[in-house]
Amino acid sequence: MMTMLLNQLNPSIKALTVIVMIFALTLVFDPFTPLVYCLFTIAITFMFGKVDGKKYFLYFLPFFLIAIGMLWTTLVFADAPKNAANTVQIFLWEFPKEDVVVAFSLALRMLAFASLSLLFIFTTNMVDFILSLMQQCKLPPKIAYGVLAGYRFLPLMKEELGQIRAAHQVRGVNRATNIKESIQQYKRFVIPLLAGAIRKAERTAVAMESKGFTGDKHRTFYRPFTLSWKDWAFFLFMFLILFITIFASIQLEYFQWYKGQL
Amino acid sequence: MAHWRLKEIVIMSVLAVVFGVVYLFFLPVGNMLAALMGPIGYEFIFGIWFIVSIIAAYIIRKPGAAFLSETIAATVEMLLGNATGPIIILVGIIQGLGAEAVFAATRWKHYNLPVLMLAGVGSAIFSFVWGYFYSGYAAFGTGYVISMLLLRMASGAIIAGVLGKSISDALAKTGVLSSFALGKEERKKKVAS
Repeated sequence: MMTMLLNQLNPSIKALTVIVMIFALTLVFDPFTPLVYCLFTIAITFMFGKVDGKKYFLYFLPFFLIAIGMLWTTLVFADAPKNAANTVQIFLWEFPKEDVVVAFSLALRMLAFASLSLLFIFTTNMVDFILSLMQQCKLPPKIAYGVLAGYRFLPLMKEELGQIRAAHQVRGVNRATNIKESIQQYKRFVIPLLAGAIRKAERTAVAMESKGFTGDKHRTFYRPFTLSWKDWAFFLFMFLILFITIFASIQLEYFQWYKGQL
Repeated sequence: MAHWRLKEIVIMSVLAVVFGVVYLFFLPVGNMLAALMGPIGYEFIFGIWFIVSIIAAYIIRKPGAAFLSETIAATVEMLLGNATGPIIILVGIIQGLGAEAVFAATRWKHYNLPVLMLAGVGSAIFSFVWGYFYSGYAAFGTGYVISMLLLRMASGAIIAGVLGKSISDALAKTGVLSSFALGKEERKKKVAS
């Protein structure tokens, strides 16, 4: 069951790991470390998680485009360089070398962040995440169940949107044909949808209270979530990979800490 | 949290869930603008990502409404597939704190248009400080960074502040908010006039 390991980890620890790794990576300012760490993370996601490759690619693609956008704007709108004589040629233009290094490290950093985030998203059930937040991170049950209730409304609201649209059609309200009209008509959809959601929420709150929900923190759970050594092992493992990457980066003399580059 | 009614908590959660979806829908719009114009493309519509704190605070009028709703909306946005992952919860916390700071400065007593617009600006400033370090805006020239900040503040004031108030007022008119602070105020006004 190796391929399911990531899916079975405690969701709160997984989220914590991703956030801590992202913070650690923000301190690194060379292009090599984020690139290698990103590749490692993608490999780990596919080796230890049950992930749909095609979907993963589709999610990754927009980050790739943003990273490219980030790359060229960092180059074009960069601060005046300290060492202007040292330049690098990219196609027809010459750029100061330090700007190019910073631009690539920022763009690759974004991809490394993306790979970490996708590791979490593709291997975590979202209802489990909320339940785990309540049990491991002391999220108040009132908020947790409120959010889960709201989450359950989403498919209903989709249905309601269809009804509103049909109602407009029956009454012969003209449909927006261009962007300007659809912006002007937004209230016609937003207000009934929100009003419906608020009514449902009010009823749900009454139902919860009438069934004895007090929001008491010392409640019992139908689906308990626990922490095991595997969860902490994952946390340490991701750190270890980062250290190995940084070590390799130092050996190859690519490595740079944050020391006022920006 | 102790003097919140369950009803208010559930409403706030539901608003946050709904706007989490809205936030997600605007992400590709922002990404498209950003891919075309660079990071400054986001700034024009950045205010949309602060709107739930303004709406929730304006309707419920209790300490924490702006902060909690924004945090939950960010979490939901992630749950539904914002690929930025858990870090976006932190972003939501920061934006929520920006708006909450402004409401705190009025001791959670004043909810008129200028205060709501300022709350949008508060979120803009807080989120900009975060973005400065996270996305490395410091690599850009000073003029570019300042125009980004000004655009984001304007977007926060107009999209979050003005639009947020207008949506809440329209909702109050339908009567569904009759048991919440905004609905009660609306009724008082009607009786008086």
